[in-house]
Amino acid sequence: MLIESLGGDVMGTIPLGDIVLYLNPLHIFLFVTILVFTALIAMSRTETQVEAMFGSLDENKVAVGKKEFKHRRFLAIICGIATAGAMITGDLFNFTLFMALIGIVNIGIVSAVKQVEVLNSAYQYGLIAMMCGLPLFGGAAMILAATGTLSLFELAAIPASPMMIFGALVMLIGVCGESGIAPFFASKAEMFRTPGSPFILIIHLSSLFIIVRFVEILLTIL
Amino acid sequence: MVASIIPQFVPAFYSSMYSTALYGGLIVAFIGLMGIAMEKRDIQVLILTDIVGLAMLIVVAAVGTDLSEALILPGLVVELAEIMAISEILISREMRKKDVDTSFAPMPLNIDMEIMTTAPNFIALLLIGYGVFLSGFTGGAVAGGGIVIYVLSRKVRGLPIVVLDGVGAISGISWCLWIIGFLFFFILPQYWLLSLFLAALGLLLKVASKIGLIGIMMREEYGRK
Repeated sequence: MLIESLGGDVMGTIPLGDIVLYLNPLHIFLFVTILVFTALIAMSRTETQVEAMFGSLDENKVAVGKKEFKHRRFLAIICGIATAGAMITGDLFNFTLFMALIGIVNIGIVSAVKQVEVLNSAYQYGLIAMMCGLPLFGGAAMILAATGTLSLFELAAIPASPMMIFGALVMLIGVCGESGIAPFFASKAEMFRTPGSPFILIIHLSSLFIIVRFVEILLTIL
Repeated sequence: MVASIIPQFVPAFYSSMYSTALYGGLIVAFIGLMGIAMEKRDIQVLILTDIVGLAMLIVVAAVGTDLSEALILPGLVVELAEIMAISEILISREMRKKDVDTSFAPMPLNIDMEIMTTAPNFIALLLIGYGVFLSGFTGGAVAGGGIVIYVLSRKVRGLPIVVLDGVGAISGISWCLWIIGFLFFFILPQYWLLSLFLAALGLLLKVASKIGLIGIMMREEYGRK
């Protein structure tokens, strides 16, 4: 499919040798939105979970310590910036690297929590993310082998060959695993059950944005 | 690989190796996944997961062009970062289970190996010398490994360690050397040999001092106890 018909008119290209960056309204919209969310998260304070105790009128507050709060805020900002980079990049391999960075940072955000179940699910998610590194990078490498380029701008002009379609499907599996969506959701859903709401939310938000962008990439190159 | 995009001077033997290497990578990954499916202990699963990561490197390396070579390094770094993050999670989970009060980033290392007391200085010297001979990124990593072994061995034997405060500055300045060398490639191509050596030695110093920094940070971690 042509690049112009998906994300609006191409506003311009930035040719840097093999990597040709291009800008269109969809990418700029996604880029600015995620940056705004990141700024909001950077400014906000964390929530405190209040659990009612059974059999009495007491309540149990689960708060986040200051050191842990700073650590999480830093990683949440990194996650937001990596997502923004994945939104605007014009290179397939840079997209996979941003994706992998988001996966690592997602593990890092929950790495300092006190609940054993959350750590357990973060461990399971980490294993899935690491295994899905194979289809993610392997799919990008297959597309490189089939076409000789990784620039989305040039890939859009090349008609899809069976090898390219196979590579793109393999890469789809990789993106699903790394961002923890549908078939791999079970491990990631448990990771949210911890206090510290705005920072935990970036885990969810980044995978939503990544999926939108990856569907656009798939439609562009195939 | 599509025949039309392969240059004519590439021998047919090499270009025919692509599918073999691809299948090889996928078989390695399959073996790793079988192991993960059968294994129940968490630490073993983590180690077996690394096999799948190595299979990813095989699949990327199978393409065999300059571009794929440039992709292997970030792929390797991502793989290492992920395995470090997950092992950190595993350590902190086990410590929470035992209800031990841990530091923010737990580091339960107890290095008591024979290699640390027999001939560490010689090994360190050999690694640094070989690293300088190699130059570039690989050489930096090898030389930095030598520095780490030296620092660790002195710590294990209980000897005082010379504190070098300027290591971070060396890293920064040599990073500038690398960038200057890189710029020279583009603006003054006739001095390519000079820029090559600037880049290679700058990168050597940078990576070596960076890995040396890890050694110093470890020492501070010990000193805190």
